[in-house]
Amino acid sequence: MHTNRKFYEPYVSPFDPCPPIRVKSYSTPPNLYMGFQPPGLEQYTARAALQKGTLWKAFYDPYPYPYPSKREE
Amino acid sequence: MSQKQLPKEYYELLEELQAVDFVLVELTLYLDTHPNDFEAIQQFNEYAKMKKQLKKRYEKEYGPLQQYGNSYSNYPWDWKDAPWPWQV
Repeated sequence: MHTNRKFYEPYVSPFDPCPPIRVKSYSTPPNLYMGFQPPGLEQYTARAALQKGTLWKAFYDPYPYPYPSKREE
Repeated sequence: MSQKQLPKEYYELLEELQAVDFVLVELTLYLDTHPNDFEAIQQFNEYAKMKKQLKKRYEKEYGPLQQYGNSYSNYPWDWKDAPWPWQV
C-alpha cells in the first residue's frame, strides 16, 4: 500500500550508550509524487481549504505523528 | 471606559474573508504555472468578485480593511483605532 512514510535502518554501534532505535521513519510530502500538477483536481471548499492548508485534496498532508500516542498505549 | 466588544458576525465575516483570500492565493500560485487553465481562471474571477463583496460588507460595518487608498476612510480618520488585527 503506497504511503508517504519512508523507513530506514540507522547504523547501530556496539558502543551506543542507549538502547538502539533499529528502524526510523520520515514523512514525505504528496507533491513529490505528483510532478506537474494536472488541471481540474478535486478541491476543498474555501473554509475547509483554509483549515487544511491547501485548496486541492491531493496535496493535503497533515504530517501525521508516526508513533502511537501515549494515551492509546 | 468599557472597550467596545466585537460582535460574533465580525469574526464570521473575517473568517469568510480569510477563506476567500486563501483560495485566491492558492489559485494565483497555481495559475502562475498553468496560464491557460480556463476553469481555474473562471474560479479565480469568481472568488475575486466574492472578495470585493465581502470587503465592502466588512468596511461598511467595521471601518477600513486596508490602507493607502485600498479602502475608503470614515470621518474622522480612524484606521489607527483599536482593535488591530492581532488584538482581534
